[in-house]
Amino acid sequence: MEEALMALAAALAVGVSALATAWAQSRIGAAGAGAVAEKPELTGTVIVLLAIPETMVILGFVVAAMILFAE
Amino acid sequence: MSKVQIAGPRGLMEEALEFLEEAGDFQTEAESTGLSEKDMERLRRPPAEGRAAAEKAVLDALRRKFHELLGCLPRAGEEGGPLEPSRAVRDLAGTVDGHLADCRMLLERKKALEKEAEDLRRHSPFLRTVGRLLEGVRESGHLEFVALSLRRPEDLPRVRELFSRMTKDRFELISERAPDGTEVLLAVLPREEAGAVRAALHEERLPELSFPSRFARMKLPEKVAYVTERLSQIRSEWETVNGELLIFSRRWRPVYREARDWLLGRLALLGAATSVFRTDMCFLLYGWMPSEDAEPLRVDLERRFGGAVVLREEEIREEDVDRVPVLLRNPPYFQPFELFTRLLPLPRYTSYDPTPFLGIFFPLFFGMMLGDAGYGLLLMGVSLWMAKRFRARPKVRAAFRILLVSALYAVVFGALYGEFLGGLGHNLFGLEPLWMSRREAVLPMLAFALAVGVFHVLFGLSLAFVTALRRGRGKEAAYRLFSVLAIAAATLFAASALGLLPELLQKPLLLTVLVLVPLMVITGGLLTPLELLKSIGNIISYARIMAIGLASVLLAYAANRLGGICGDIVVGILVGALLHAVNIVLGVFSPAIHSIRLHYVEFFGKFLEHGGKKFEPLHKPQEREAETWKKP
Repeated sequence: MEEALMALAAALAVGVSALATAWAQSRIGAAGAGAVAEKPELTGTVIVLLAIPETMVILGFVVAAMILFAE
Repeated sequence: MSKVQIAGPRGLMEEALEFLEEAGDFQTEAESTGLSEKDMERLRRPPAEGRAAAEKAVLDALRRKFHELLGCLPRAGEEGGPLEPSRAVRDLAGTVDGHLADCRMLLERKKALEKEAEDLRRHSPFLRTVGRLLEGVRESGHLEFVALSLRRPEDLPRVRELFSRMTKDRFELISERAPDGTEVLLAVLPREEAGAVRAALHEERLPELSFPSRFARMKLPEKVAYVTERLSQIRSEWETVNGELLIFSRRWRPVYREARDWLLGRLALLGAATSVFRTDMCFLLYGWMPSEDAEPLRVDLERRFGGAVVLREEEIREEDVDRVPVLLRNPPYFQPFELFTRLLPLPRYTSYDPTPFLGIFFPLFFGMMLGDAGYGLLLMGVSLWMAKRFRARPKVRAAFRILLVSALYAVVFGALYGEFLGGLGHNLFGLEPLWMSRREAVLPMLAFALAVGVFHVLFGLSLAFVTALRRGRGKEAAYRLFSVLAIAAATLFAASALGLLPELLQKPLLLTVLVLVPLMVITGGLLTPLELLKSIGNIISYARIMAIGLASVLLAYAANRLGGICGDIVVGILVGALLHAVNIVLGVFSPAIHSIRLHYVEFFGKFLEHGGKKFEPLHKPQEREAETWKKP
C-alpha cells in the first residue's frame, strides 16, 4: 500500500508539473512565434523564454526521483 | 579595441580613405574625438558636405538603375571590360535608361510566354486523353462533342444516367484515366441536344472544362491540335527572347557590373568622408580598430604615403567606454560557437565575450546529457559529412562543427556510463561502465549534475566579481564575493545535511551563511537574499542534465527491448532502428536546447552585460543581385 502511494505521489509530482509546463510553454510559444515573425532578431530571446518553464517539470522530476529512490 | 587618430594633408584624404577601405579594419567615428563642439563645427566645413551630398544622391540613383539592370540579366560574360570605371560610369549614365527599358520589355515578354505555356500545360493531360478518344470517333456535322473531367471516378454512373435521360439514349460515351489521375469522358451526341445537356451538367456541378478565351470557340478536335502547336510555338519564341537576353548580357553585363562596383566603392567613400574633420591644409580622422591591427596599419600607412599620413593610438577615456564597438574574434576551435553568441545581443565592451565559455561547457553538457557512444559515433559521422557538404555555407558548417565536438563528448561520456545504443554494447560486446550506470545510479547522477551546476554558477559569479573589480566598483565587487562565499557555504551545508560531509561542519557553515547574508544586504541592497534564492534555483535547474540523460537512456533501452520482443529478427531490427532514430533526433535537439538554456539563463545572467555596439569597419561593399532570372 505504501509503495503504491509513493508511486502515485511520484506520478503526481511529474504529471502536474508537466501539465503546468505544457500550459506555460503553449502560451509563450504562441506569443514567441508572433514576435519572431515580426522581429527575427528575437529568436535567441524567445528560445530562452520558451525553455524557462521547463524548470517546473525538471523540479517535479527531481522530487519524484527522491520519492522513489531516496532511502 | 584601440582608439586611433589618423591625420594627413588634405589632398591625400580620398586616397587615404580608399586605403583604409581596402584594409577593412578601421571604423570611423566622429563623436568620440575629445574636441570641443566649437572646434568640431569649425572643422566640419558644411559647403564640402553639401557638394558630397549632391554627388551621393546622383550616384545612388545610378547605382539603383545599374542594380536593377544587372538583376534582370542572365549571368554570362563575367569578365571585366577594358574601360576605366569612372569614365564608363559617365557614359553608361546616358545609356542605362534605354537598356533598362529594353531589358524590362524582354523580361515581360518572357514572363507572358511562360504564363501562357503554364495555362496550356494545365489543360494538356486532359486534351491529350481526349485526343486519343477522338481518334476512334468519326466526325460529322450533326454531332457534338462534350468532354468532361471527373475528379471522382465514382461520379461516372451518375453522368451516364444524366446523358441517357437528356438524350433518350442517343449518345455514345467513352472514358479513360488521364495521367494526372482524373477520369476523362468524351460524349458524342446530336447537336440539337448539346445545349440542354451542357446546362444540365452545369446544374449538377459537372461543367465542361473551361478553356482560355483564345480557343474557347474552337471545336474539340481543333482545341487538341491548337494546344500542341501553340506549346511548340511558345518554346521557340521563348528561345528567341532568351537568346536576345544572353547576347545583351554578354555584351553589357561585365561593363555594368564593373561600373556598379566602382559606384559602391565611391558611395562608401563619400559616406566615410562625412565623418572626416578637415581644414584647408589637412584632414583628421578618428575611429576604432582591433588593437593587434593598429601597429601593422601604422606601418602600412607610413610606407604607402611616405610618412605624410600618420596613425596614432589614443587613450580610451571613461566617457568613451559605452561607444567602443565590439568585435568577436576567437581562435579557430571557438569560432563556430559564435553562432550561439550572436543569437543574443552583443556583449558590452567592458563585459566578457562568452564564446570561449560556450566552447568549453556547451559540448560538455551535451555529452553528459546524451552520453551514448553509439549515438555519438553516428552523429560524428553525420556532422563530418554535413560540414564537408555545406562548406560554402559558413553558418550551417559552424553548426555541424559544434555538433561534431559535442558528439565527441557524447562518445567519451558513453564510455564512462557504459552505454552503446542503450544496453546493446553490454549485450553484444560486454561493455561495462567505466564510472557509473546512469540507469541504476539515479541519485548519484543527480548529485553530480547539481555539483556541476554549483561549479558553473560560482564560476559565473566569480567572473562578475572580477569585472566589478577591474572597473573599480568596490561595493559591487564585495557583494559578488559575498554571494560566491554564501552559495559555496550553503551548498556545503546541504551536502553535510545529506550526509555527504561530516555533520560537525553544519554549525560553522550555517553560521557563515548567517553572517554573509547581512553583509550582502549592506553591499547589494535589500533584495539580495532574493538573489541568493534565485542562484540556488539556478543550481537546481542543472538537475536537467540528469533528467534529460535518464530519459534518453531509458528510451534507448526501450528501443532494444521492443526490438527484442518482436520475435522476428528482421522486424526486430527495423523496430529497434526506428526507435533509435527517433531517440537520436530527440538526443540532438533536447540536449542542445537545454545546454544552451543553461548558458543563456543560469550562467550568462550572472556576469554578462548585453548592449555592445557592432564593429563595422570601412570596407568595399558587396551588393547581391536579385535573381529575377530563371535558367531555361
